[in-house]
Amino acid sequence: MDEYQEEETAFAVEEVSKIIKESVESAIGGNAYQHSRVHQWTTTVVEQCLSQLSKLGKPFKYIVTCVIMQKNGAGLQTSSACFWDNTTDGSCAVRWENKSMYCIVSVYGLAI
Amino acid sequence: MNGMEEFQNGSEGSFNSEEAESLVKECIDAVVGGDDYSQTHVNKWTASVVERTLSTLVKQGKPYKYMVTCAVMQKTGAGLHTANSCYWDTTMDGSCTVRWENRTMYCVVSVFAVAIP
Repeated sequence: MDEYQEEETAFAVEEVSKIIKESVESAIGGNAYQHSRVHQWTTTVVEQCLSQLSKLGKPFKYIVTCVIMQKNGAGLQTSSACFWDNTTDGSCAVRWENKSMYCIVSVYGLAI
Repeated sequence: MNGMEEFQNGSEGSFNSEEAESLVKECIDAVVGGDDYSQTHVNKWTASVVERTLSTLVKQGKPYKYMVTCAVMQKTGAGLHTANSCYWDTTMDGSCTVRWENRTMYCVVSVFAVAIP
């Protein structure tokens, strides 16, 4: 993760993290895992995050990924590696859970 | 997976998704092919898959920034769903996702490539 920088054009991790948390809460907060709805939820989470991010109006390209997994004892491990410009690009991952599911959202921002 | 723009094939300036797909499959097979899910090893596996994939992509020497993600999940009947959405230049940038499985685990690897202007 890159350090948070004061300049407007660096990737703002805290701001993005807040956007992700709000998007997840509003899309699935309070719901229990349901196979028939999870497709719609993942779509809603990524689309909401992306539209809030583009509203920030910064000169960035964004990639948002969302994983939702039912809680039944399975092990899940995720990793990511990135080849980019360390001074301007960054990423932010948020792990959210409730009683019946885990949700992991990652946002990658690349300066144009 | 949804929300992805179509990529264009055959044009030198755009991301070649088929080539990336076969590259990713080789990397996954090399790291976890033949292994059973093991909690002690899974950390190492996901890290190896992303690093191996990333370094193979970078060696191609194309003018791209890359993001590679890998998720490994034990097969116990749990539901797993992933989605991604991208805000980028649809003519130059692209992605590819590979789903792999064996008897005891699923592995989902996504590669995102963003052109350097």
